[in-house]
Amino acid sequence: MSEPLAVGQVVADEQYRITRENLVRYAGASGDFNPIHWNDRVAKAVGLPGVLAHGMLTMALAGRLLTDWVGDPAAVVEYSVRFSRPVVVPDDADGVAVHVTATVTEVRDDGLVGVELAVRVDEQKVLTQARALARPPKNAS
Amino acid sequence: MAIDPSAVGRVYPPQPYEVSREKVREFAEAIGDPNPVYVDTGMAGEYGHDDVVAPPTFVMIPVMRGFDTLMADLGIEFARVVHVDQRFTYSRPLLVGDGLETTTTLDALRQVAGNDLLTIRSDVRAADEHVCTSQATLLIRPEEKDDV
Repeated sequence: MSEPLAVGQVVADEQYRITRENLVRYAGASGDFNPIHWNDRVAKAVGLPGVLAHGMLTMALAGRLLTDWVGDPAAVVEYSVRFSRPVVVPDDADGVAVHVTATVTEVRDDGLVGVELAVRVDEQKVLTQARALARPPKNAS
Repeated sequence: MAIDPSAVGRVYPPQPYEVSREKVREFAEAIGDPNPVYVDTGMAGEYGHDDVVAPPTFVMIPVMRGFDTLMADLGIEFARVVHVDQRFTYSRPLLVGDGLETTTTLDALRQVAGNDLLTIRSDVRAADEHVCTSQATLLIRPEEKDDV
């Protein structure tokens, strides 16, 4: 019934918001209490433009797009990113919007699919070389 | 002060970590992910898992336990660390109840523009079964000069 996946096909696209509240929750959940992720004074003192999102939180959001697409999180075999640009999170109600697009880059004989994740804030990439290898959902293979 | 080059190849003792149901729930909520497979045993069972699984990047928690050991050994302050890149290779997802052991190895060390760049490998196993390998590059900014 389903169409086979093709290289270049966009399989998922979503926008996520990160607010200061999200950073505090992520700090607690992950155990990463580096103050540059919650304290303006410290962030400024070390020369940053402001409080930054944890790179691992941005990686987790892009990973969420991936697991929402594949269904079973166990279908993700490999996942890697490069943190190329800091994500500044303003101290307001809206925070910052992170836009993630997943595109098929490879369809392998063993059933695995290569996916490239474009992760952008204001059209600028904040993660580069964000790639995953996964078993695609059954209705898309 | 630069990090001692003889530290390359150093392997740190396995760090234990037990994956708990409430921590998985808390982490899924913190990343805003409502996927029931992270909280609902029945849903996890439909995918063939014995219990709920953790989101893919949850494994960074046990991996960071190993980083802490390595950084303490090398005298690196957390505030000077910048995460440059991160790769995970999974044999299976982390499951609630897993008793993990993470072995941390300093694979490489090089200097770029006065910063130390560390490549750290972390092997995460549960009862001798490979679960995940993490490879991370951390940039260590030099300590502030005493010019204040």
